[in-house]
Amino acid sequence: MNEIAKQSAEKALSLVLGAGALHWTSDVNGNAFGWVKLCDPKSLLAVAPLLAESGARLMTATAYRNDKYARVEGREIAYHFDLDGVALTVTVCLLDTPPRVPSITPWFKNADWNEREFVELYGIVLEGHPNPRRLFLDKSLDAAMLDRLVPLSTMMNGASTSTLWEKVFAGKQLPDWAKGENN
Amino acid sequence: MTATTFTLPVGPLHVALEEPMYFDIQVEGETVRSVELAAGHVHRGMEALAMQRNYLQNITLTERVCSLCSNSHPATYSMAVENLSGIRVPERAMYLRVIADEVKRIASHLFNVGIMAHLTGFDSLFMHAMEVREIMQDAKEGVYGNRMNLGQCVIGGCRRDIDEDTAAFLLGQLELLKPQLDELYGVFEHDPLIRLRTRGIGILSCEEAVRHAVVGPVARASGVAYDVRRKAPYAVYPDLDFEVQTDTKGDVHSRALLRLREVVQSVKIVEQCLRQMPGGPICIDSMPMVPPGEAVARSEAPRGEVFYYVRSDGTDMPQRLKWRVPTYMNWEALQVMLANCQVADIALIVNSIDPCISCTER
Repeated sequence: MNEIAKQSAEKALSLVLGAGALHWTSDVNGNAFGWVKLCDPKSLLAVAPLLAESGARLMTATAYRNDKYARVEGREIAYHFDLDGVALTVTVCLLDTPPRVPSITPWFKNADWNEREFVELYGIVLEGHPNPRRLFLDKSLDAAMLDRLVPLSTMMNGASTSTLWEKVFAGKQLPDWAKGENN
Repeated sequence: MTATTFTLPVGPLHVALEEPMYFDIQVEGETVRSVELAAGHVHRGMEALAMQRNYLQNITLTERVCSLCSNSHPATYSMAVENLSGIRVPERAMYLRVIADEVKRIASHLFNVGIMAHLTGFDSLFMHAMEVREIMQDAKEGVYGNRMNLGQCVIGGCRRDIDEDTAAFLLGQLELLKPQLDELYGVFEHDPLIRLRTRGIGILSCEEAVRHAVVGPVARASGVAYDVRRKAPYAVYPDLDFEVQTDTKGDVHSRALLRLREVVQSVKIVEQCLRQMPGGPICIDSMPMVPPGEAVARSEAPRGEVFYYVRSDGTDMPQRLKWRVPTYMNWEALQVMLANCQVADIALIVNSIDPCISCTER
């Protein structure tokens, strides 16, 4: 168990939440897991910079409904950090309707995708995100998207891959779309 | 400069990786100025599915997140459930899990460096790397009965034991592999074409690696010596002797060489496991109820840290199951690696993060 990392997590969080806010569990290999709950989403703005200062890395964020079947309203977000091998989960209760949470991208760049993902999957309103575009598409988005952008397969393979379709349609008429003339 | 999006003829021409991740690339002449990613085209909603399946069914589901790291997902998922339920996995099963993970790592890394050779136009090396990888594919087929989804993990242990004959077969495959790995490393390290095409491109500095929170070989090749097997050890890794591979160059070449060195370490790990593995059961007798609560677990998959979070409301299905794959952050770091690169190098740089769309688009 990494005592130094544990202490730096304790120190960072105690500045905002007071001593003893964190509770710890461990697994059979002695790895430490810290857990803390913030009842006000705005506290995140105080906690995030302190964690960043102590060298924390954001692993991911999990949004969830307090009741899976939505029989009761209420959502929470668990932010999972790593401090040199110690896993720290900071859970934020979202009490507003609609649920709102500030972005932590100023301190954790990789929060970008994680936050955009929970915005679209859980309908959470994100405040202060530098790039609040949708991350995973849905049908309401511009249908021309796929035409306009460059697919990875094209990037990785170049533009003369009609060979594949010639094999697939061997002995038959090659459809126009497979001829690759526009590639 | 204006945004210009068009279909780019990139690199040698062959159907290799047909995966639906899309890029908005701004170029100035032959130089890439910026890259934006558009994801989600094959998003499968697997996390939502996981909340509608019981804990046992989710082993099968998580094994299908990805093919190349198909053992890392059910193994890490099982670890999270075991952490929550206080299940102690028999020691022999922990060795078996490590063997499965390392066998998959060998095959995954060889695949990636093989594709790199292909993208440089060195197709005989590509075919050679894939042929070497085939030794491991045969090993998987012989030990687990299949070549991709091993079906090895269950909550509380493993499904298949490795008896003496199978262990001898696996050791034999590793013996076949070892001289080939030495030879491959020599070629990847010294071949003038490989060096010319891959050195000094796609550079990710240590500061940028930390800023983007990248993981796995991408982080380690940039000087971030983070390997979950050592930083947050699980299974029997604390009892195994291996070295975490690092580099400081942070370019495409160093990432490939690092993966090849990791393969050598993986071979060493599997050999130790087969030598040290104690007798005894390979699984717990019965699955206890999963209590209400939450737990996390992580492991070092071929592409880096895999993270699982499970939240239980006391029923037989998770209230929430979340996982984060290594490629998730590594994508965004491409914006740094591709900045100001030549159009001809795009494919090599993208391949050097060993991208997995299947993982990203759960």
